[in-house]
Amino acid sequence: MNAGLSTKNAPSPIVVLPHYVFGAVAFLVASVMLFFISGDIVKSNVGPGVLSVTHILVLGWITMVIYGALYQLIPVVMEVRLGSELLAHISFGTMAVGTVLLSLSFWRTYIMPNILVEIGGTLIFISALLFAINALISAKKSERRTIENTFIITSIFWLLFTIALGIVMIINAKKHFLAPSSVELLQIHAAAALIGWFMMLVIGVASTLMPMFFIAHNLNRTLLKISYGLINIGLIGLIVSLYAMADTILPAIFAFLIVAGMLLFVMFNYSAYKKRLRRKLDIGMKLSVLAFALLALTLVSAVVAALDLELLKNWNVKFDLAYGISLILGFFTALILGQMYKTLPFIVWLQKYQDKVGKFKIPMPASLYSEKVADAHYYSFIAGFVLLIIAIFTTLPVLAQISSVFFIITALLYGYNTFMIVFHKEDIKPLKS
Amino acid sequence: MLENLSEKEQLILESLKTVIDPEVEINIVYLGLIYEITHNEENFQTDMIATLSARGCPVGDTILNHIKIAAEAAIPGSFANVELVWEPQWTPEMITPEGKAALNM
Repeated sequence: MNAGLSTKNAPSPIVVLPHYVFGAVAFLVASVMLFFISGDIVKSNVGPGVLSVTHILVLGWITMVIYGALYQLIPVVMEVRLGSELLAHISFGTMAVGTVLLSLSFWRTYIMPNILVEIGGTLIFISALLFAINALISAKKSERRTIENTFIITSIFWLLFTIALGIVMIINAKKHFLAPSSVELLQIHAAAALIGWFMMLVIGVASTLMPMFFIAHNLNRTLLKISYGLINIGLIGLIVSLYAMADTILPAIFAFLIVAGMLLFVMFNYSAYKKRLRRKLDIGMKLSVLAFALLALTLVSAVVAALDLELLKNWNVKFDLAYGISLILGFFTALILGQMYKTLPFIVWLQKYQDKVGKFKIPMPASLYSEKVADAHYYSFIAGFVLLIIAIFTTLPVLAQISSVFFIITALLYGYNTFMIVFHKEDIKPLKS
Repeated sequence: MLENLSEKEQLILESLKTVIDPEVEINIVYLGLIYEITHNEENFQTDMIATLSARGCPVGDTILNHIKIAAEAAIPGSFANVELVWEPQWTPEMITPEGKAALNM
Protein backbone atom coordinates (compact mmCIF):
# COMPACT_ATOMS: atom_id res chain seq x y z
CA MET A 1 0.00 0.00 0.00
CA ASN A 2 2.87 2.34 0.71
CA ALA A 3 4.82 1.98 -2.54
CA GLY A 4 6.11 5.39 -3.55
CA LEU A 5 6.97 6.44 0.00
CA SER A 6 10.68 7.20 0.18
CA THR A 7 10.86 7.43 3.97
CA LYS A 8 9.93 3.76 4.44
CA ASN A 9 13.20 2.85 2.67
CA ALA A 10 15.42 5.69 3.93
CA PRO A 11 18.92 4.66 5.14
CA SER A 12 20.31 5.58 8.57
CA PRO A 13 21.42 9.23 8.58
CA ILE A 14 24.93 8.09 9.66
CA VAL A 15 25.35 6.58 6.17
CA VAL A 16 24.57 9.86 4.44
CA LEU A 17 25.76 12.71 6.68
CA PRO A 18 29.57 12.09 6.64
CA HIS A 19 29.55 12.50 2.85
CA TYR A 20 28.06 15.99 3.11
CA VAL A 21 30.54 17.00 5.84
CA PHE A 22 33.55 15.68 3.87
CA GLY A 23 32.24 17.41 0.73
CA ALA A 24 31.89 20.78 2.50
CA VAL A 25 35.46 20.54 3.86
CA ALA A 26 36.83 19.46 0.44
CA PHE A 27 35.12 22.44 -1.24
CA LEU A 28 36.75 24.79 1.27
CA VAL A 29 40.20 23.21 0.84
CA ALA A 30 39.91 23.39 -2.97
CA SER A 31 38.83 27.05 -2.78
CA VAL A 32 41.88 27.91 -0.64
CA MET A 33 44.19 26.00 -3.02
CA LEU A 34 42.63 27.85 -5.96
CA PHE A 35 44.18 31.04 -4.56
CA PHE A 36 47.71 29.57 -4.81
CA ILE A 37 47.35 28.19 -8.33
CA SER A 38 45.68 31.24 -9.89
CA GLY A 39 48.75 31.86 -12.08
CA ASP A 40 48.65 28.32 -13.50
CA ILE A 41 44.92 28.50 -14.15
CA VAL A 42 44.91 31.71 -16.14
CA LYS A 43 47.86 30.45 -18.21
CA SER A 44 46.00 27.14 -18.81
CA ASN A 45 48.99 25.35 -17.31
CA VAL A 46 47.80 21.91 -16.15
CA GLY A 47 50.52 21.50 -13.53
CA PRO A 48 50.59 19.61 -10.20
CA GLY A 49 48.46 22.23 -8.41
CA VAL A 50 45.71 22.24 -11.03
CA LEU A 51 45.67 18.44 -11.09
CA SER A 52 45.44 18.33 -7.29
CA VAL A 53 42.59 20.88 -7.05
CA THR A 54 40.70 19.18 -9.89
CA HIS A 55 40.79 15.84 -8.07
CA ILE A 56 39.73 17.39 -4.76
CA LEU A 57 36.79 19.04 -6.51
CA VAL A 58 35.83 16.05 -8.63
CA LEU A 59 36.34 13.35 -6.00
CA GLY A 60 36.22 15.01 -2.57
CA TRP A 61 33.48 17.51 -3.37
CA ILE A 62 31.30 16.38 -6.28
CA THR A 63 31.62 12.57 -6.07
CA MET A 64 31.44 12.53 -2.28
CA VAL A 65 28.24 14.60 -2.10
CA ILE A 66 26.76 12.62 -5.01
CA TYR A 67 27.48 9.35 -3.12
CA GLY A 68 25.78 10.68 0.02
CA ALA A 69 22.84 12.15 -1.87
CA LEU A 70 22.39 8.96 -3.90
CA TYR A 71 22.25 6.79 -0.79
CA GLN A 72 19.31 8.98 0.23
CA LEU A 73 17.82 9.30 -3.25
CA ILE A 74 18.00 5.67 -4.42
CA PRO A 75 14.94 4.90 -2.24
CA VAL A 76 13.19 7.91 -3.81
CA VAL A 77 13.99 7.12 -7.44
CA MET A 78 13.96 3.31 -7.31
CA GLU A 79 11.53 2.79 -4.41
CA VAL A 80 13.71 0.16 -2.70
CA ARG A 81 16.02 0.04 0.31
CA LEU A 82 19.73 0.63 -0.22
CA GLY A 83 21.57 -2.63 -1.03
CA SER A 84 23.99 -2.50 1.94
CA GLU A 85 24.78 0.18 4.52
CA LEU A 86 28.08 -1.52 5.42
CA LEU A 87 29.31 -1.26 1.82
CA ALA A 88 28.37 2.43 1.90
CA HIS A 89 30.52 2.99 5.02
CA ILE A 90 33.54 1.22 3.50
CA SER A 91 33.07 3.07 0.22
CA PHE A 92 33.08 6.39 2.11
CA GLY A 93 36.28 5.53 4.02
CA THR A 94 38.21 4.36 0.96
CA MET A 95 37.08 7.37 -1.11
CA ALA A 96 38.05 9.79 1.69
CA VAL A 97 41.55 8.32 2.22
CA GLY A 98 42.07 7.79 -1.53
CA THR A 99 41.16 11.39 -2.36
CA VAL A 100 43.52 12.78 0.31
CA LEU A 101 46.44 10.56 -0.84
CA LEU A 102 45.90 11.29 -4.52
CA SER A 103 45.49 15.05 -4.14
CA LEU A 104 48.36 15.35 -1.66
CA SER A 105 50.61 13.41 -3.97
CA PHE A 106 49.66 15.48 -7.05
CA TRP A 107 50.26 18.68 -5.04
CA ARG A 108 53.77 17.59 -3.97
CA THR A 109 55.02 16.13 -7.22
CA TYR A 110 54.01 15.67 -10.81
CA ILE A 111 56.37 12.79 -11.45
CA MET A 112 54.60 9.53 -12.24
CA PRO A 113 54.46 6.74 -11.26
CA ASN A 114 54.31 7.46 -7.59
CA ILE A 115 53.43 5.07 -4.76
CA LEU A 116 50.94 7.49 -3.12
CA VAL A 117 49.13 7.95 -6.43
CA GLU A 118 48.98 4.18 -6.91
CA ILE A 119 47.59 3.55 -3.40
CA GLY A 120 45.18 6.50 -3.64
CA GLY A 121 43.98 5.46 -7.09
CA THR A 122 43.45 1.86 -5.94
CA LEU A 123 41.44 3.01 -2.90
CA ILE A 124 39.26 5.20 -5.12
CA PHE A 125 38.75 2.29 -7.51
CA ILE A 126 37.67 0.07 -4.56
CA SER A 127 35.33 2.79 -3.34
CA ALA A 128 33.76 3.22 -6.77
CA LEU A 129 33.43 -0.55 -7.17
CA LEU A 130 31.66 -0.90 -3.81
CA PHE A 131 29.41 2.06 -4.60
CA ALA A 132 28.58 0.55 -8.01
CA ILE A 133 27.80 -2.87 -6.50
CA ASN A 134 25.59 -1.23 -3.88
CA ALA A 135 23.69 0.86 -6.41
CA LEU A 136 23.29 -2.07 -8.82
CA ILE A 137 21.98 -4.37 -6.03
CA SER A 138 19.37 -1.68 -5.27
CA ALA A 139 18.53 -1.26 -8.97
CA LYS A 140 18.06 -5.02 -9.38
CA LYS A 141 15.50 -5.02 -6.55
CA SER A 142 13.62 -2.09 -8.05
CA GLU A 143 10.47 -2.73 -10.05
CA ARG A 144 10.43 0.78 -11.46
CA ARG A 145 11.92 0.83 -14.97
CA THR A 146 11.93 4.49 -15.83
CA ILE A 147 14.22 6.49 -18.10
CA GLU A 148 15.50 8.28 -14.96
CA ASN A 149 16.59 4.92 -13.45
CA THR A 150 18.22 3.92 -16.74
CA PHE A 151 20.32 7.11 -16.70
CA ILE A 152 21.49 6.37 -13.15
CA ILE A 153 22.37 2.72 -13.83
CA THR A 154 24.23 3.61 -17.04
CA SER A 155 26.17 6.33 -15.22
CA ILE A 156 27.44 3.71 -12.75
CA PHE A 157 28.91 1.68 -15.62
CA TRP A 158 30.62 4.84 -16.89
CA LEU A 159 32.01 5.42 -13.38
CA LEU A 160 33.58 1.96 -13.41
CA PHE A 161 35.03 2.62 -16.86
CA THR A 162 36.45 5.99 -15.71
CA ILE A 163 38.17 4.58 -12.64
CA ALA A 164 39.46 1.49 -14.47
CA LEU A 165 40.93 3.75 -17.16
CA GLY A 166 42.53 5.89 -14.43
CA ILE A 167 44.28 2.79 -13.05
CA VAL A 168 45.35 1.73 -16.55
CA MET A 169 46.80 5.23 -17.07
CA ILE A 170 48.86 4.94 -13.89
CA ILE A 171 50.24 1.55 -15.00
CA ASN A 172 50.76 2.86 -18.55
CA ALA A 173 52.91 5.67 -17.17
CA LYS A 174 55.34 2.93 -16.07
CA LYS A 175 54.98 0.32 -18.84
CA HIS A 176 53.94 2.44 -21.89
CA PHE A 177 51.81 -0.26 -23.54
CA LEU A 178 49.01 1.96 -24.96
CA ALA A 179 49.32 3.73 -28.33
CA PRO A 180 47.58 7.05 -27.52
CA SER A 181 49.56 9.73 -25.69
CA SER A 182 48.88 10.58 -22.05
CA VAL A 183 47.06 13.74 -23.23
CA GLU A 184 44.61 11.72 -25.34
CA LEU A 185 44.09 9.22 -22.52
CA LEU A 186 43.47 12.13 -20.16
CA GLN A 187 40.84 13.50 -22.57
CA ILE A 188 39.08 10.10 -22.65
CA HIS A 189 39.31 9.85 -18.84
CA ALA A 190 37.82 13.33 -18.42
CA ALA A 191 35.06 12.75 -21.01
CA ALA A 192 33.98 9.47 -19.37
CA ALA A 193 34.05 11.05 -15.90
CA LEU A 194 32.30 14.33 -16.70
CA ILE A 195 29.77 13.19 -19.30
CA GLY A 196 29.35 9.46 -18.61
CA TRP A 197 29.43 9.45 -14.83
CA PHE A 198 28.53 12.91 -13.52
CA MET A 199 26.29 14.22 -16.28
CA MET A 200 24.25 11.05 -16.81
CA LEU A 201 23.82 10.61 -13.07
CA VAL A 202 22.76 14.23 -12.65
CA ILE A 203 20.26 13.86 -15.51
CA GLY A 204 18.75 10.74 -13.88
CA VAL A 205 18.49 12.28 -10.42
CA ALA A 206 17.56 15.83 -11.47
CA SER A 207 14.85 14.60 -13.85
CA THR A 208 13.19 12.98 -10.84
CA LEU A 209 13.81 15.70 -8.27
CA MET A 210 13.35 18.94 -10.21
CA PRO A 211 9.74 18.19 -11.30
CA MET A 212 9.08 16.91 -7.76
CA PHE A 213 10.35 20.10 -6.12
CA PHE A 214 8.80 22.36 -8.77
CA ILE A 215 5.58 20.30 -8.47
CA ALA A 216 5.30 20.10 -12.24
CA HIS A 217 3.20 17.49 -14.03
CA ASN A 218 2.51 16.27 -17.59
CA LEU A 219 6.12 16.57 -18.75
CA ASN A 220 7.38 15.13 -22.02
CA ARG A 221 9.73 12.27 -21.06
CA THR A 222 10.45 11.47 -24.73
CA LEU A 223 12.95 14.36 -24.52
CA LEU A 224 14.86 12.36 -21.90
CA LYS A 225 14.77 9.15 -23.93
CA ILE A 226 16.22 10.87 -27.00
CA SER A 227 18.74 12.64 -24.76
CA TYR A 228 19.86 9.23 -23.40
CA GLY A 229 20.47 7.87 -26.90
CA LEU A 230 22.32 10.96 -28.13
CA ILE A 231 24.62 11.24 -25.10
CA ASN A 232 25.60 7.57 -25.08
CA ILE A 233 26.16 7.29 -28.82
CA GLY A 234 28.07 10.59 -28.75
CA LEU A 235 30.24 9.56 -25.81
CA ILE A 236 31.12 6.10 -27.16
CA GLY A 237 31.91 7.64 -30.56
CA LEU A 238 34.00 10.40 -28.96
CA ILE A 239 36.03 7.94 -26.90
CA VAL A 240 36.64 5.59 -29.84
CA SER A 241 37.67 8.45 -32.13
CA LEU A 242 39.96 9.93 -29.46
CA TYR A 243 41.53 6.52 -28.82
CA ALA A 244 42.02 5.92 -32.52
CA MET A 245 43.63 9.39 -32.61
CA ALA A 246 41.28 10.26 -35.47
CA ASP A 247 42.49 13.60 -36.76
CA THR A 248 39.17 14.24 -38.48
CA ILE A 249 35.92 15.99 -37.85
CA LEU A 250 34.60 12.84 -36.10
CA PRO A 251 35.31 13.86 -32.46
CA ALA A 252 33.55 17.19 -33.11
CA ILE A 253 30.48 15.44 -34.59
CA PHE A 254 30.22 13.13 -31.57
CA ALA A 255 30.70 16.09 -29.23
CA PHE A 256 27.73 17.78 -30.94
CA LEU A 257 25.56 14.70 -30.33
CA ILE A 258 26.43 14.95 -26.61
CA VAL A 259 25.67 18.66 -26.54
CA ALA A 260 22.33 18.03 -28.31
CA GLY A 261 21.46 15.38 -25.71
CA MET A 262 22.30 17.74 -22.87
CA LEU A 263 20.24 20.46 -24.52
CA LEU A 264 17.18 18.18 -24.51
CA PHE A 265 17.72 17.62 -20.78
CA VAL A 266 17.86 21.40 -20.25
CA MET A 267 14.62 21.71 -22.28
CA PHE A 268 12.94 19.07 -20.09
CA ASN A 269 13.86 21.02 -16.96
CA TYR A 270 12.86 24.32 -18.52
CA SER A 271 9.42 22.90 -19.23
CA ALA A 272 9.21 21.72 -15.56
CA TYR A 273 10.20 25.25 -14.51
CA LYS A 274 7.53 26.82 -16.73
CA LYS A 275 4.82 24.44 -15.48
CA ARG A 276 5.83 24.75 -11.83
CA LEU A 277 3.12 25.07 -9.23
CA ARG A 278 5.31 26.73 -6.68
CA ARG A 279 6.03 30.15 -8.13
CA LYS A 280 8.31 31.51 -5.40
CA LEU A 281 11.64 29.66 -5.41
CA ASP A 282 13.46 28.88 -2.15
CA ILE A 283 17.25 29.15 -1.96
CA GLY A 284 17.73 25.48 -2.91
CA MET A 285 15.74 25.90 -6.11
CA LYS A 286 17.26 29.34 -6.86
CA LEU A 287 20.73 27.75 -6.84
CA SER A 288 19.46 24.82 -8.92
CA VAL A 289 17.97 27.17 -11.54
CA LEU A 290 21.29 29.05 -11.57
CA ALA A 291 23.04 25.71 -12.15
CA PHE A 292 20.98 25.16 -15.30
CA ALA A 293 21.79 28.65 -16.56
CA LEU A 294 25.48 27.78 -16.06
CA LEU A 295 24.95 24.49 -17.90
CA ALA A 296 23.73 26.50 -20.90
CA LEU A 297 26.99 28.48 -20.68
CA THR A 298 28.91 25.19 -20.46
CA LEU A 299 27.22 23.96 -23.64
CA VAL A 300 28.16 27.15 -25.50
CA SER A 301 31.82 26.77 -24.40
CA ALA A 302 31.70 23.10 -25.39
CA VAL A 303 30.43 23.95 -28.89
CA VAL A 304 33.10 26.62 -29.39
CA ALA A 305 35.81 24.27 -28.04
CA ALA A 306 34.63 21.44 -30.31
CA LEU A 307 34.53 23.70 -33.41
CA ASP A 308 38.21 24.52 -32.85
CA LEU A 309 37.81 27.54 -35.13
CA GLU A 310 40.87 28.95 -36.89
CA LEU A 311 39.41 32.39 -36.20
CA LEU A 312 39.71 31.83 -32.44
CA LYS A 313 43.12 30.14 -32.70
CA ASN A 314 44.59 31.86 -29.63
CA TRP A 315 41.38 31.44 -27.63
CA ASN A 316 40.64 27.75 -28.15
CA VAL A 317 42.62 26.64 -25.07
CA LYS A 318 40.75 29.25 -23.03
CA PHE A 319 37.40 27.87 -24.26
CA ASP A 320 38.54 24.34 -23.31
CA LEU A 321 39.33 25.63 -19.81
CA ALA A 322 36.13 27.68 -19.58
CA TYR A 323 34.19 24.53 -20.52
CA GLY A 324 35.83 22.45 -17.76
CA ILE A 325 35.48 25.19 -15.15
CA SER A 326 31.87 26.03 -16.01
CA LEU A 327 30.99 22.34 -15.74
CA ILE A 328 32.87 21.55 -12.48
CA LEU A 329 32.89 24.86 -10.60
CA GLY A 330 29.76 26.16 -12.33
CA PHE A 331 27.00 23.66 -13.06
CA PHE A 332 27.92 20.79 -10.70
CA THR A 333 28.92 23.08 -7.82
CA ALA A 334 25.78 25.26 -8.07
CA LEU A 335 23.59 22.16 -8.29
CA ILE A 336 25.23 20.60 -5.22
CA LEU A 337 25.03 23.87 -3.28
CA GLY A 338 21.32 24.05 -4.10
CA GLN A 339 20.32 20.42 -3.76
CA MET A 340 22.01 20.24 -0.33
CA TYR A 341 19.20 22.52 0.89
CA LYS A 342 16.61 20.21 -0.69
CA THR A 343 17.98 17.00 0.85
CA LEU A 344 20.11 17.42 3.99
CA PRO A 345 17.56 19.39 6.11
CA PHE A 346 14.92 16.73 5.37
CA ILE A 347 17.26 13.89 6.35
CA VAL A 348 18.04 15.47 9.73
CA TRP A 349 14.50 16.76 10.23
CA LEU A 350 12.96 13.32 9.62
CA GLN A 351 15.41 11.76 12.08
CA LYS A 352 14.62 14.31 14.82
CA TYR A 353 10.95 15.12 14.28
CA GLN A 354 9.18 12.50 12.18
CA ASP A 355 7.39 10.94 15.17
CA LYS A 356 6.65 14.33 16.79
CA VAL A 357 4.57 15.88 13.98
CA GLY A 358 1.14 16.94 15.24
CA LYS A 359 2.11 16.19 18.87
CA PHE A 360 4.56 19.04 19.53
CA LYS A 361 5.37 22.43 18.07
CA ILE A 362 8.41 21.66 15.90
CA PRO A 363 10.56 23.65 13.49
CA MET A 364 10.15 23.21 9.70
CA PRO A 365 13.07 21.71 7.68
CA ALA A 366 13.92 25.18 6.34
CA SER A 367 14.45 26.44 9.91
CA LEU A 368 17.44 24.14 10.36
CA TYR A 369 19.76 26.54 8.49
CA SER A 370 20.16 30.27 8.02
CA GLU A 371 18.46 31.50 4.85
CA LYS A 372 20.46 34.77 5.07
CA VAL A 373 23.75 32.85 5.03
CA ALA A 374 22.52 30.77 2.08
CA ASP A 375 21.48 33.95 0.23
CA ALA A 376 24.91 35.46 0.90
CA HIS A 377 26.75 32.47 -0.58
CA TYR A 378 24.41 32.52 -3.59
CA TYR A 379 25.85 35.94 -4.50
CA SER A 380 29.45 35.22 -3.44
CA PHE A 381 29.35 32.09 -5.63
CA ILE A 382 28.14 34.07 -8.66
CA ALA A 383 30.85 36.70 -8.06
CA GLY A 384 33.57 34.04 -7.74
CA PHE A 385 32.47 32.18 -10.86
CA VAL A 386 32.10 35.27 -13.08
CA LEU A 387 35.51 36.63 -11.98
CA LEU A 388 37.17 33.28 -12.71
CA ILE A 389 35.78 33.15 -16.23
CA ILE A 390 36.88 36.77 -16.84
CA ALA A 391 40.33 35.89 -15.39
CA ILE A 392 40.73 33.06 -17.90
CA PHE A 393 39.95 35.25 -20.90
CA THR A 394 41.98 38.25 -19.68
CA THR A 395 44.85 36.08 -18.32
CA LEU A 396 44.97 38.20 -15.15
CA PRO A 397 46.06 36.13 -12.10
CA VAL A 398 44.89 38.85 -9.69
CA LEU A 399 41.28 38.37 -10.89
CA ALA A 400 41.59 34.61 -10.30
CA GLN A 401 42.89 35.36 -6.79
CA ILE A 402 39.94 37.66 -6.02
CA SER A 403 37.65 34.97 -7.47
CA SER A 404 39.14 32.36 -5.12
CA VAL A 405 38.46 34.68 -2.15
CA PHE A 406 34.78 34.68 -3.18
CA PHE A 407 34.88 30.90 -3.47
CA ILE A 408 36.43 30.69 0.02
CA ILE A 409 33.62 32.90 1.38
CA THR A 410 31.07 30.68 -0.41
CA ALA A 411 32.63 27.50 1.00
CA LEU A 412 32.77 28.95 4.53
CA LEU A 413 29.11 30.06 4.47
CA TYR A 414 27.97 26.80 2.87
CA GLY A 415 30.03 24.84 5.40
CA TYR A 416 28.47 26.86 8.23
CA ASN A 417 24.96 25.93 7.08
CA THR A 418 25.94 22.29 6.48
CA PHE A 419 27.33 21.98 10.02
CA MET A 420 24.28 23.83 11.43
CA ILE A 421 22.01 21.23 9.85
CA VAL A 422 24.12 18.15 10.64
CA PHE A 423 24.60 19.15 14.30
CA HIS A 424 21.05 20.48 14.79
CA LYS A 425 19.79 20.07 18.36
CA GLU A 426 16.22 18.90 18.80
CA ASP A 427 13.89 21.83 19.52
CA ILE A 428 10.35 20.85 20.54
CA LYS A 429 7.72 22.86 22.40
CA PRO A 430 4.29 21.89 23.73
CA LEU A 431 1.57 22.21 21.09
CA LYS A 432 -0.53 24.74 23.05
CA SER A 433 1.79 27.35 24.53
CA MET B 1 -15.35 12.73 -3.72
CA LEU B 2 -15.49 14.93 -0.65
CA GLU B 3 -19.23 15.40 -1.00
CA ASN B 4 -22.13 14.67 1.33
CA LEU B 5 -19.89 14.65 4.39
CA SER B 6 -21.52 14.09 7.77
CA GLU B 7 -21.09 16.61 10.56
CA LYS B 8 -18.22 14.57 12.07
CA GLU B 9 -16.53 14.11 8.70
CA GLN B 10 -16.80 17.86 8.15
CA LEU B 11 -15.06 18.37 11.51
CA ILE B 12 -12.27 16.00 10.40
CA LEU B 13 -11.93 17.85 7.10
CA GLU B 14 -11.52 21.14 8.98
CA SER B 15 -8.86 19.55 11.20
CA LEU B 16 -6.99 18.25 8.14
CA LYS B 17 -6.60 21.86 6.99
CA THR B 18 -3.92 22.18 9.73
CA VAL B 19 -1.73 19.68 7.82
CA ILE B 20 0.57 21.73 5.61
CA ASP B 21 2.57 20.38 2.66
CA PRO B 22 5.98 21.92 3.47
CA GLU B 23 7.01 22.08 -0.21
CA VAL B 24 4.01 24.10 -1.43
CA GLU B 25 3.21 25.68 1.93
CA ILE B 26 -0.56 25.26 1.68
CA ASN B 27 -2.74 22.71 3.43
CA ILE B 28 -3.35 19.27 1.96
CA VAL B 29 -7.13 19.76 1.71
CA TYR B 30 -6.74 22.85 -0.48
CA LEU B 31 -4.08 20.95 -2.44
CA GLY B 32 -6.64 18.23 -3.20
CA LEU B 33 -4.65 15.39 -1.64
CA ILE B 34 -7.58 14.00 0.37
CA TYR B 35 -9.81 11.81 -1.79
CA GLU B 36 -12.21 10.31 0.76
CA ILE B 37 -13.20 10.61 4.43
CA THR B 38 -15.51 8.06 6.04
CA HIS B 39 -16.24 8.15 9.75
CA ASN B 40 -18.05 5.18 11.30
CA GLU B 41 -19.99 6.41 14.34
CA GLU B 42 -20.43 2.87 15.69
CA ASN B 43 -16.81 1.80 16.04
CA PHE B 44 -15.42 5.37 16.16
CA GLN B 45 -13.15 4.69 13.23
CA THR B 46 -12.20 7.12 10.46
CA ASP B 47 -10.99 5.77 7.14
CA MET B 48 -9.34 8.17 4.73
CA ILE B 49 -7.98 7.81 1.22
CA ALA B 50 -5.19 10.25 0.35
CA THR B 51 -2.47 10.78 -2.21
CA LEU B 52 0.74 12.81 -2.46
CA SER B 53 1.81 15.33 -5.08
CA ALA B 54 4.73 13.09 -6.17
CA ARG B 55 5.92 9.53 -5.67
CA GLY B 56 8.94 9.39 -3.38
CA CYS B 57 8.05 12.71 -1.72
CA PRO B 58 10.66 13.06 1.09
CA VAL B 59 8.04 14.04 3.67
CA GLY B 60 5.35 11.63 2.45
CA ASP B 61 5.37 9.52 5.62
CA THR B 62 5.27 12.57 7.81
CA ILE B 63 2.26 14.00 5.97
CA LEU B 64 0.39 10.69 6.31
CA ASN B 65 1.19 10.53 10.05
CA HIS B 66 0.04 14.09 10.45
CA ILE B 67 -3.25 13.31 8.64
CA LYS B 68 -3.89 10.44 11.09
CA ILE B 69 -3.08 12.61 14.13
CA ALA B 70 -5.21 15.53 12.90
CA ALA B 71 -8.20 13.23 12.19
CA GLU B 72 -7.97 11.59 15.61
CA ALA B 73 -7.67 15.00 17.28
CA ALA B 74 -10.89 16.14 15.56
CA ILE B 75 -12.91 13.31 17.17
CA PRO B 76 -11.29 12.57 20.56
CA GLY B 77 -11.08 8.84 21.29
CA SER B 78 -11.45 7.84 17.64
CA PHE B 79 -9.05 5.74 15.57
CA ALA B 80 -7.98 6.94 12.12
CA ASN B 81 -6.64 4.96 9.22
CA VAL B 82 -5.07 6.51 6.09
CA GLU B 83 -4.71 4.62 2.84
CA LEU B 84 -2.20 6.03 0.35
CA VAL B 85 -3.21 5.63 -3.30
CA TRP B 86 -1.62 6.71 -6.60
CA GLU B 87 -4.77 6.26 -8.69
CA PRO B 88 -6.31 8.55 -9.68
CA GLN B 89 -2.99 10.33 -10.05
CA TRP B 90 -2.94 13.77 -8.46
CA THR B 91 -2.73 16.68 -10.90
CA PRO B 92 -2.77 20.44 -10.31
CA GLU B 93 -6.38 20.47 -11.61
CA MET B 94 -7.38 18.86 -8.29
CA ILE B 95 -6.37 21.95 -6.30
CA THR B 96 -9.44 23.63 -4.80
CA PRO B 97 -10.36 27.22 -5.70
CA GLU B 98 -9.05 28.30 -2.25
CA GLY B 99 -5.72 26.55 -2.99
CA LYS B 100 -5.51 28.12 -6.45
CA ALA B 101 -6.08 31.55 -4.92
CA ALA B 102 -3.34 30.90 -2.32
CA LEU B 103 -0.94 29.84 -5.08
CA ASN B 104 -1.88 32.77 -7.36
CA MET B 105 -2.91 30.31 -10.09
